[in-house]
Amino acid sequence: MNMFKSITIGQYLPGESLLHRLDPRAKFIALILFIGTVFMLQSLFGYLLLGIVLLGLLKISQLPLRYFFRGLKPVFYITLFTIIVHFFMTKGGAIILRLGPLTVESAGVYLGIFMALRIIFLVVCTSILTLTTSPLALADGLEFLMRPLAKIGVPSHEIAMMMTIALRFIPTLMEESEKITKAQLARGADLESGNIFRRAKSLVPLLVPLFVSAFRRADDLAVAMEARCYRGGEGRTRLRELQATALDYSAVLLSVLLLIAVAWSQV
Amino acid sequence: MKQKYAVRDLVLIALFAALTAIMAYIAVPMPAGLPPITGQTFAVMLAGLLLGANKGAMSQIIYILLGVVGLPVFAGGTSGLSILVGRSGGFLIGFVLGAFLIGKLTENKREPSLRALSFAALLGGVIVVYIPGILQMAMVLGIPLETAAGFMLPFLPGDFIKVAVSSLLAQRILLALPGKCRPSVN
Repeated sequence: MNMFKSITIGQYLPGESLLHRLDPRAKFIALILFIGTVFMLQSLFGYLLLGIVLLGLLKISQLPLRYFFRGLKPVFYITLFTIIVHFFMTKGGAIILRLGPLTVESAGVYLGIFMALRIIFLVVCTSILTLTTSPLALADGLEFLMRPLAKIGVPSHEIAMMMTIALRFIPTLMEESEKITKAQLARGADLESGNIFRRAKSLVPLLVPLFVSAFRRADDLAVAMEARCYRGGEGRTRLRELQATALDYSAVLLSVLLLIAVAWSQV
Repeated sequence: MKQKYAVRDLVLIALFAALTAIMAYIAVPMPAGLPPITGQTFAVMLAGLLLGANKGAMSQIIYILLGVVGLPVFAGGTSGLSILVGRSGGFLIGFVLGAFLIGKLTENKREPSLRALSFAALLGGVIVVYIPGILQMAMVLGIPLETAAGFMLPFLPGDFIKVAVSSLLAQRILLALPGKCRPSVN
């Protein structure tokens, strides 16, 4: 059972680059603007511009490129699939290739390549954010950005708190399930043979103790929080206060300019 | 402002968000070339059955947000906003709706029958999850709805097994917890 070994908590790579030092809120807003830009892309100019900007950001971020592109692997198949679907399903324009009853037409090729580029752009800009920002900083940033939503009843502090707790729970629960699996194997549990019903049934002795211990842990934590007088976001002080600098404002401004440039080029 | 969640509920919601994240990594291989069963919808069913509607749905929102901020918690260790707006992002929306419906159908029952639990899990954990999932898949890939629905067919046998196991498990856990301690009782 080494399926949990491959998960590292977050893909965050600590570093000292300009992008690492930006305020998480600024990076978040910039990301949202980038995503808006990607969805507006229509002209070749727009694709080229955004492509160059993203490559520039990648350079500034000083992320090791091999590590970066290894992280993109899961999306590779989705992209490939999109290209293939469009090559064969989208019709229009000149026929480029004929394979028996199937034809590949030029409209399909364009649309396939552009759609694939969109997916790649989306993944690249979100990965740059998550590789340069620690999950805790992101949760802090998210809490701040959701604050206006509190007026319409969105519990922004509670959401950030729950994300932080969940973050804390993931490694604990993984350890726990590994321990339980080993314990049941040591008692002679057979998890890997038999038909599908037997295998599904063999999960029960793993799941019941996992849930029981998870509930117990949750209870312990709740008691511990209450004992320390946790009472929600109102009037709570922080160890690390977020502080926006001129750098952060200019990052947001540049993303707005990019969005406008792409939108303008397509009018 | 009064606090919206009791501390214990806060922790339980976080717990189920974490469980969903872990379940995304559990894959039981299926015979005959069927795609493997992954645990996400299983966690959705349990969140709805054990936490009730509001808290169950909230746990799934937290799970999605964890993925959005970049933890590799979505199926296959992916993450990011791009998954949410991408090909299979509709299923994530379906998790929230599904957990809510399952909770609505089963919460506040003193002694829920296995039949009621599994019916709720089937309706919320399979049908309600698939509707937005298939809609978004068809939209993002630009393919007809029937084709997108066809892609999902091989997953159904695994889903039925998840419905059976989750409702069995939920009944056991619910019966073990005395009424007042159940998070699904408001």
